[in-house]
Amino acid sequence: MDNQPWKKSPSPWKYGRSALLAVVIIAAYIYSFRVTELDLPRLVTDFPKAVPILQDFLTPDVLARGEQTESYVINYPVPCGSGQEAEIPDSGPRIVPSVPCSDPKTTITVEGFDLRPDTKVQLRWLLPDGRRLRSARATTDGNGHFNVEVEIRPIVAAKEGNISQLEAELQWESTGLMPSEALKITFAKIVETVFMALMATTFACLVAFPVGFLGARNIMGTGPVGTVVYYIARTIFNLMRSIEALVMAVMFAIWLGFGPFAGVMAMTVVTVASLSKLFSEAIESIDPGPMEAIVAAGGNRLQAIVYAVFPQVIPPFIAFAIYHWDINVRISTIIGFVGGGGIGLQLQTWINQLAYNKAGTAVWAIVIVVTILDNLSSQIRKRLV
Amino acid sequence: MTRIQEPTSRNPVFELKDAGWRTGDLQILAGINLCIWPGERVALVGASGAGKTTLINLLNGSLLPSEGEVRVLGQNMARLSPSARRRVQRRIGTVYQQFHLVDSLRVVHNVNAGHLGHWSLLKAAFSLVWPLEVETAAHALAQVGIPEKLYERTDRLSGGQQQRVALARVLVQNPEAILADEPISNLDPERSREIINLLYRLNRQTGKTLVISLHTIEYAFSHCQRIIGLRQGRILFDAPASEVSPEMVAALYRIQPSGAEDDRAA
Repeated sequence: MDNQPWKKSPSPWKYGRSALLAVVIIAAYIYSFRVTELDLPRLVTDFPKAVPILQDFLTPDVLARGEQTESYVINYPVPCGSGQEAEIPDSGPRIVPSVPCSDPKTTITVEGFDLRPDTKVQLRWLLPDGRRLRSARATTDGNGHFNVEVEIRPIVAAKEGNISQLEAELQWESTGLMPSEALKITFAKIVETVFMALMATTFACLVAFPVGFLGARNIMGTGPVGTVVYYIARTIFNLMRSIEALVMAVMFAIWLGFGPFAGVMAMTVVTVASLSKLFSEAIESIDPGPMEAIVAAGGNRLQAIVYAVFPQVIPPFIAFAIYHWDINVRISTIIGFVGGGGIGLQLQTWINQLAYNKAGTAVWAIVIVVTILDNLSSQIRKRLV
Repeated sequence: MTRIQEPTSRNPVFELKDAGWRTGDLQILAGINLCIWPGERVALVGASGAGKTTLINLLNGSLLPSEGEVRVLGQNMARLSPSARRRVQRRIGTVYQQFHLVDSLRVVHNVNAGHLGHWSLLKAAFSLVWPLEVETAAHALAQVGIPEKLYERTDRLSGGQQQRVALARVLVQNPEAILADEPISNLDPERSREIINLLYRLNRQTGKTLVISLHTIEYAFSHCQRIIGLRQGRILFDAPASEVSPEMVAALYRIQPSGAEDDRAA
């Protein structure tokens, strides 16, 4: 029983080799521990530094108190006689100038009655040409009354028969909560991102669909031309797949400028690489029987592909496409950082402004959208495959 | 217009002269000589690996002989241009053990696949979206006994029903000969009898030549006029069903040490 290898005693050389291998592995780990500057205790000791950011991220800026306004407008001819004077009612909320009209470079008093109590008032001139000119500020007292001096500047004079109007706008915070500005921006940007991913995936499908066939062994056959095309296609897939989305995004951002277009193009290239490979593998795993039957009955190869291969591969193609749409939404958050547009660009802007609450809003939006898409795509895939 | 002669009782549908087929070093079929005449019902029997499927593939032009000559409807398949060969292939229909249907398509499309020898690529593609010549398909399905399955998804059908769809596809193709490669090996006994009876009826009613390979020999005796026994890639016997003895059948399936050259029949 000499030929049973497990009974042979190992040679000393083999022991030595194992020991050497162990030393090399340990050295590699020691070295990598040092180059990566690992300092695990700092994860705990420096944790307080992370607390503010984490707090901001966990309290995203989603809601704000809404502003409510109420405004009263009266005609005010300058100089007198240049237009219709305002008719001031005797009761109810109203603003009353000390004189119904005046000349430029004078000062009048404007009073308000029965307005909202304890509220800020902004007085404004609405000029004949549509511009607005800020004037005095005031605050109403407990009875809803204010009294403020207003300077009549030459600019408010009537032009070509059109007179200026005086507006008093009351501003106060409403009790109800409104979506914050950051939330609105985030919403717009996340929509942009989802559609960027959709466009990139669509473009990629248009390219990957025909290209996938070129990289499928069973379609290209065993002839010399087919074999060459097959290997070229496969090599291109693998080369393209080795380039990261981020690198692509930098390239396209330089080429096309910062923005969604560059992002879409970068994602398209990355998705083509990945989808082509998946597509060609799906094509290779079809049941060859129907194709055989069609060719045996005198159909040509192209007919067999359209009639027997397409129906078999389209459901998995759609499943892969939806899956990649979902992946692209995720990628586009990263791509945005290097100029690819979408929510990523906005996220980067807010992080640079140290507006971590707002950044938190964006991060949460990404989490929610990716989760929804993930579920949606897996539902659709389940139905297709 | 077509150069192919219409077969008469004088001309064989299939004619093989010393035909053989090899892949690499493996000789699958060798020295096959046979003639199959219009309207005949021929059973191909033999153990697994005897070369039945390869012979069927030579008959329908899916394979070309690596030696000898295969004539189908008078044409030497190896000498034809691809398009001329396809014109011959249109006139030979095949049903398979695995049915070879596109599972995800509706039945009507699988039946319509029988038209592909005549249809243009455009027409074929269009028909996948909007099925064409539905009456022909419906008629073929009625002939095989499942007219109500026209718009069913193919993979929702039972095995027996799927083989009927494959038969309907061949009917739509309207060939002069039907080859059946182990058409009942995937079916239960009841479904098997139905399919064999259907093939038998088709042959009797339309006069289409029938070549059917069978794993089990019972139906060869009950439904065919002539039995060809294959063993290790060679014809062991080729005789009218009435003349095939139990000893001849036993010889087909006997396990023999390799190199049994004397096993060969003339």
